[in-house]
Amino acid sequence: MVKKPEFRDLFPGALELMILKTLSRKPMHGYALAQRIKETSDDLLQIEEGSLYPALQRMLKTGWLISEMGLSAKNRPVRIFKLTQAGRKHLEQEISSVEQMFAGISRVLALARQ
Amino acid sequence: MNWLQQLFSRRRHYNELSESIREHLDEKITDLQDRGMSREQAERSARREFGNVTLIEQRGREIWQWPSLESIIADVRFALRQLLKSPMFTAAAVTTLALGIAINATMFSLVSAFLIPHLPGEDTEHIVAVSSVNPDSQFQPEAYPSSAPNYLAWSSNTHVFALMAADNEFLTGSLSEPGQQAEAVSYAAVSPNFFSVFGVSPSIGRSFRSGEDRPGQDHLIILSHGLWERRYGSDPSIIGRSVRLNREDYLVVGIMPATFRMLGFMPKLWTPLTLSAADRMAGARTNRNLFLFARLAPGVTLQQARTQMSTLAQLAQKDFPAVEQRWGASVRTLGDFLIYNFSIRSGISVMMTVVVFILFIACANVAALMLTRAVGRQKELAIRQSLGASRARVVRQLLTEGIVIAIFGGALGLGLSYFGIQALRAGLTFNEYIADVPVRLDSNVLFFALAISLLAAVLSSVIPALKASRSDINVSLKSETRGASSDRSHNRMRAVLVGGETALALFLLIGTCLLIRSVYLLDHQELGFAHDHLLTAGLVLDQARYADSVKKAQVVHQAVTQLEQISGVQTVAVASDLPASGANSIPIHIKGQPEARPNEENRAIDVLITPNYFSAIGLPFRRGRNFTASDDASGPRVVIVNQQFVHQYLQDSDPIGKQIKLDTDGAAPSWSQIVGVVGDIKTYSELPTVDPEVYESFSQRPVASFSILLRSSVEPNTITPSVRQVLAEIDSELPLLRIMNMDQMIEVQRNGNPLFSRILAIFAILALVLAAIGIYGLVAYSVGQRTQEIGIRIALGARTSDISNMILREGLKVAAIGSCIGLLIALPLPKVFGSIFQGLIVSAPLIYPIVLVAMLLVAFIAIQGPARRAARVDPNVALRNE
Repeated sequence: MVKKPEFRDLFPGALELMILKTLSRKPMHGYALAQRIKETSDDLLQIEEGSLYPALQRMLKTGWLISEMGLSAKNRPVRIFKLTQAGRKHLEQEISSVEQMFAGISRVLALARQ
Repeated sequence: MNWLQQLFSRRRHYNELSESIREHLDEKITDLQDRGMSREQAERSARREFGNVTLIEQRGREIWQWPSLESIIADVRFALRQLLKSPMFTAAAVTTLALGIAINATMFSLVSAFLIPHLPGEDTEHIVAVSSVNPDSQFQPEAYPSSAPNYLAWSSNTHVFALMAADNEFLTGSLSEPGQQAEAVSYAAVSPNFFSVFGVSPSIGRSFRSGEDRPGQDHLIILSHGLWERRYGSDPSIIGRSVRLNREDYLVVGIMPATFRMLGFMPKLWTPLTLSAADRMAGARTNRNLFLFARLAPGVTLQQARTQMSTLAQLAQKDFPAVEQRWGASVRTLGDFLIYNFSIRSGISVMMTVVVFILFIACANVAALMLTRAVGRQKELAIRQSLGASRARVVRQLLTEGIVIAIFGGALGLGLSYFGIQALRAGLTFNEYIADVPVRLDSNVLFFALAISLLAAVLSSVIPALKASRSDINVSLKSETRGASSDRSHNRMRAVLVGGETALALFLLIGTCLLIRSVYLLDHQELGFAHDHLLTAGLVLDQARYADSVKKAQVVHQAVTQLEQISGVQTVAVASDLPASGANSIPIHIKGQPEARPNEENRAIDVLITPNYFSAIGLPFRRGRNFTASDDASGPRVVIVNQQFVHQYLQDSDPIGKQIKLDTDGAAPSWSQIVGVVGDIKTYSELPTVDPEVYESFSQRPVASFSILLRSSVEPNTITPSVRQVLAEIDSELPLLRIMNMDQMIEVQRNGNPLFSRILAIFAILALVLAAIGIYGLVAYSVGQRTQEIGIRIALGARTSDISNMILREGLKVAAIGSCIGLLIALPLPKVFGSIFQGLIVSAPLIYPIVLVAMLLVAFIAIQGPARRAARVDPNVALRNE
């Protein structure tokens, strides 16, 4: 059977949010980004590394990211992805809306527990 | 980033994407090697964890494309290649769809011509028609003309209507010039502001001006473009010249543009409408002959106008209960009014529904064909999916094929519909209003054809596409090229499609047969009189020369006497209306019966005749006597009634000597004695009803408009020239409205019923043929699939009759189940048609079993071929054919 190569989203936009957040700390190249997301999400998200790329292309197109040449940890020339101003603004909006959502869910769960 | 830049930078993005991915993998491999893996191991594990590189690159690229325009083009190209590879399939599918689309586009040209009428003028959504609502009329009760007093009362409502014009349509006048034969023209008298309501002015000359509706200033004419072209050779110098209309001189002041036309209204010229003092009095309220057109005041909605008009109608009811009781008023937008008034909507809707069903049948056929083909392509689709094509991608590919087929079908269908529309237009000549409307392949038809082509594409390919894309790749790839029996789920789906289309076809067949039979019965009903060898001529005596009744009676007597001299003429009679042509219905009262409330009186058809009438039309006397020469203006008023009258109003008692009062327009009600009873005639040749009828003696109350009937011993049309000559000798300016034999007259009144039947018959045959093709395809394919199985059966000793019976059973089962479903859904049809078509009696229970048997017979014949082929299968060939 063909494996579904798509990243199974937790909720719509979760992957993009994680990419934005990760890159907001430090510009990175693709492999480092994949490693980083895997580590921080504690392997909670079973993602195929490749599925990052369509998401990165989408964000490049929207203008949240730009790419420029840089050096990797192994001193190879690689494309580094960097947040733009628009990307930073979008990240802030997303975080606050996600926080609201989680706050809402927690309240409902708390009620349900009573 | 604009799209042009994007187009150029796209390749750069593609490269960067591939680069990034390569860098990612390199980095990872190095990383893994650092952790102690061999180069090979590292590469394998890096690729595994990354996923399908090609697919991801593809996804990443798609982001930079416009909604995957390129992949659509690629799909179309692929679809074209695929279709070219199987020309038989393509031809069958395209032709089937083309037939369905052609017949739809052809019928839609009628919708475009009659139901999306061309409206004259500017800002047409603010033009409305204000009509009276006739409580007793069966035909278009809400488009009844209004009386002059109501027009005057309503048009003063300036806060609802910015302008309101009155239009006395359907007048007949004689247009003559010295030395020329008089011509009868239909014309309209309109209030001077009539053209302003539409916002249209004459293309040459001027409109009527206010004040030109005063007697003495009203002898003006505006010509229609058609009459100007035909009679005056498009000569612009006609403006300012005078022409003779009804023996009086009129000044031509304008010529309307050719685009000024309204469905069902086609006067040849317009004159100003003059309202006399008598027209303004309450007494004129029964004289309802004005169509009212108005322009809504700024900001006033249709709903507001309706509310206002119903208030005004109620006011009139209260003030004049005797004449206005139960009468209402309606406001419709101009387009709505014209369509309603023309009353062609239900006929067209039924035909349109039928053709849409035929399209569904065609789509079911094509869908079944595609399913058949999908079985053969299972492997190809499985390979595509295993290489990473998602299900949506496969569905899209198959839908694209469907769309390509539908577009070819649509183009071919549109071509065919060109001829269909030509044929239709050739048949649409049964009355001048229909003939006047241009039926053509216009932009509406084009858009419709495009829309139904796309609909057909989706309908015919969505099931096969979903079905094909859902198949299990592993099974498809592993299975042998040909199994012993075919894939069950595909077969079931195809059987459902073919069964469904059989049901639909049977439903349509029953529907069309019911309609054809009802129309046939109407067209061949006994009208109650002898309509062969009967020539009729319509005449209108004008006020100018024949003002008083003595003059009218004289000229009629003179005409009858002279026409009787023509050789070959047996009897000449005059009647105010032709038999079976829907004469006036008037209120009557029988002496000794209680008075009815206003507008609820008994009614009877009223016809004025000369004594020869009954012998001329061959109507038998039942009782009493005929009119005689002494039943004239000086004698006591006498009437003859029909049997239906005696039955309905006198409970079959002896009517001779009874007194009845007739409430005719423009004459004081007076008591008349019944002197005779004659047989019944159908009120309308095109309806089955027989109404109570009263015949008055023409010489007791001569009218201006009447018909002459001549019974001849020779072919009636051969005496036409002599009739013209005799009438011209009596009065050369007297126009002949029409001269036509009674059979032609009835043909005209049937108003296209024969055409309607012919069209329905074509639909029925098409539905039957498509269903037969569907059943044939189903069985033929199934035989092809099961060749091996059949071979085994024969090898094991099955007789050929067993085999063909098996195949027959299979096909007939689908046809029978489909037919039964179709029969069930067709059960309420007579009731439905009865309510759609006024006066059509739709009851023919026998049609159901006959059509069912016919359908099964056709299915049986369609299965014969494949069944025989199955029986001839050579087991040696079939089994070796692996």
